[in-house]
Amino acid sequence: MTQPILETRKLGMVYRGHRDVAALTDVSFTLHRGRALALVGESGSGKSTCAKILTRMVTATGGQILFDGKDVTRPGNRREVLAYRSQVQMVFQDPFAALNPAHDVRHHLSRPLALHKPELGRGEREDRAVELSMMVGLDPVETLGKYPHELSGGQRQRVNLARAMAVDPSVLIADEPTSMLDVSIRLTILDMFKPLKRDRGIAMLYITHDIATARYVAEETAVIYGGRIVEIGPTSAIIDAPRHPYTRLLLAAVPEIGRPFGATDASLVREADRVREISREPGRLSEVAPGHLVRECSASHI
Amino acid sequence: MTVIQMNQAKPTSLLSVRELCVDYASRQGLKRAVDRVSFDVGANEVLGLAGESGSGKSTVAYAIARLHRPPAFITGGSIVLDGTDVLKLQGETLRQWRWRDVSMVLQSAMNALNPLLTVAAQFADLFRAHGIRNKAEIRERSAELLRMVGIAPDRLLDYPHRFSGGMRQRLVIAMALALSPKLIIMDEPTTALDVVVQRELLEEVTVLRRRLGFSILFITHDLALMSQFCDRIGIMLNGDLVEMGPPMQMVEAPQHPYTRKLWNAIPPLHPSEMPPRRVLENTP
Repeated sequence: MTQPILETRKLGMVYRGHRDVAALTDVSFTLHRGRALALVGESGSGKSTCAKILTRMVTATGGQILFDGKDVTRPGNRREVLAYRSQVQMVFQDPFAALNPAHDVRHHLSRPLALHKPELGRGEREDRAVELSMMVGLDPVETLGKYPHELSGGQRQRVNLARAMAVDPSVLIADEPTSMLDVSIRLTILDMFKPLKRDRGIAMLYITHDIATARYVAEETAVIYGGRIVEIGPTSAIIDAPRHPYTRLLLAAVPEIGRPFGATDASLVREADRVREISREPGRLSEVAPGHLVRECSASHI
Repeated sequence: MTVIQMNQAKPTSLLSVRELCVDYASRQGLKRAVDRVSFDVGANEVLGLAGESGSGKSTVAYAIARLHRPPAFITGGSIVLDGTDVLKLQGETLRQWRWRDVSMVLQSAMNALNPLLTVAAQFADLFRAHGIRNKAEIRERSAELLRMVGIAPDRLLDYPHRFSGGMRQRLVIAMALALSPKLIIMDEPTTALDVVVQRELLEEVTVLRRRLGFSILFITHDLALMSQFCDRIGIMLNGDLVEMGPPMQMVEAPQHPYTRKLWNAIPPLHPSEMPPRRVLENTP
């Protein structure tokens, strides 16, 4: 495969406090142009910490980050940080909190341009704002002058995506981008990621608790539990041939249309506590099929 | 009302809601949130109500428990639970009826428990409010309730913050069971929980329901979950109950276009194993 655009090597994060909390341990994955990796885990598994590290909101306490082959683990000078941030953009979970209620959509789309592309004039920024809003399916004439409170949740998330795309990033990190939206519009938001990957070669990290949408969005999936990746590989392999007990537990528990509780195998769910316990073990990741890695644990027979 | 397939009143109907209307008073006048909604919940049945935010599903739930507050007003229809005309209940009778006949589990268990009181104190409150004052009896019944939801009774003396989200929701369910109600209304009871915890909790609720024989009105926006957990499901849209039926029928042959839209909005986990969907001719 080609050189990854973004790579993490044994990323670690310990939040220091009166009791240290290891939020991430030994997290390694690669993001490739035109492809998406889904990071699937429950709350507290470390998936959002991962997003925070990659977007430079916090600094990892261990491991390495490589962008386009270059080590960017430590934030450099202001110019380097700015350059990295324009390449790695983020779409947040809460479309309501991510927009400034005091500014209109035009401001949200042209502000990143003013920051990251100071060479653009006012007219060019306006052109780009029009282009961006059309890209996410919003009518520029109708939308650019509107304020966040005048938009629906789905429209707001479209604005967030357009804003992230304003500076032509090569990596997009989407942290639960649809979990706060109504069910009927979730897919329309996820559908917007496909042309970004295909036509613009965007590499994507899709963070979610919903493994069913992982299949819809991402070619590769990593399942994370207790700050460690327990299984990583092609999404179809993870969902159709899961190997790690936690992945199997997750798949047994995830709601699925038309499969009554009684008809599905709940034995794994009854052993959930035990699965959680062994899934915290610091075993070694071993390759079970090409590109499919599973963390070893003491009871693989579950 | 465009109900395409109404459910027939079961002979063993526990709850009967007929032509229920709820309006919200606003400066612009009355806004109808629930529009002539009718349905039944059978004895020992789990009925699901699904819909998106603003569809009126929670308003229905609150109206049934008479927990709706101004600016919401019930402006029409009837609610009968096990022979009691719910809309006629007043004052102390209403207060006693709530929780003894119908209890409620809300979405956010974190907010449903008082952080300043131990679990034991909150159970005691509940029992005392319903005339049970014998300390030994309260202690014994509280312990039994905790055992029932899989929490060790010695944790009664803990404060809510000592419990995980899933355990707190278990505590709330234990409280909802305390007076052996006939109906438990669960409004998005697992939305804040992880899928594994959600499944563990609902498996337990299923076991308890078989044992104790209560009915559940289950409100959620998660249609996939609803199709797994409920005996019948109803779909709400803009205050209207547009379709109701057994899950498999609703999945395989949804009649209303909105129901079809909702199913299609959920990406399947195993696309190849999806139950076949009948293509309907001449659909509205």
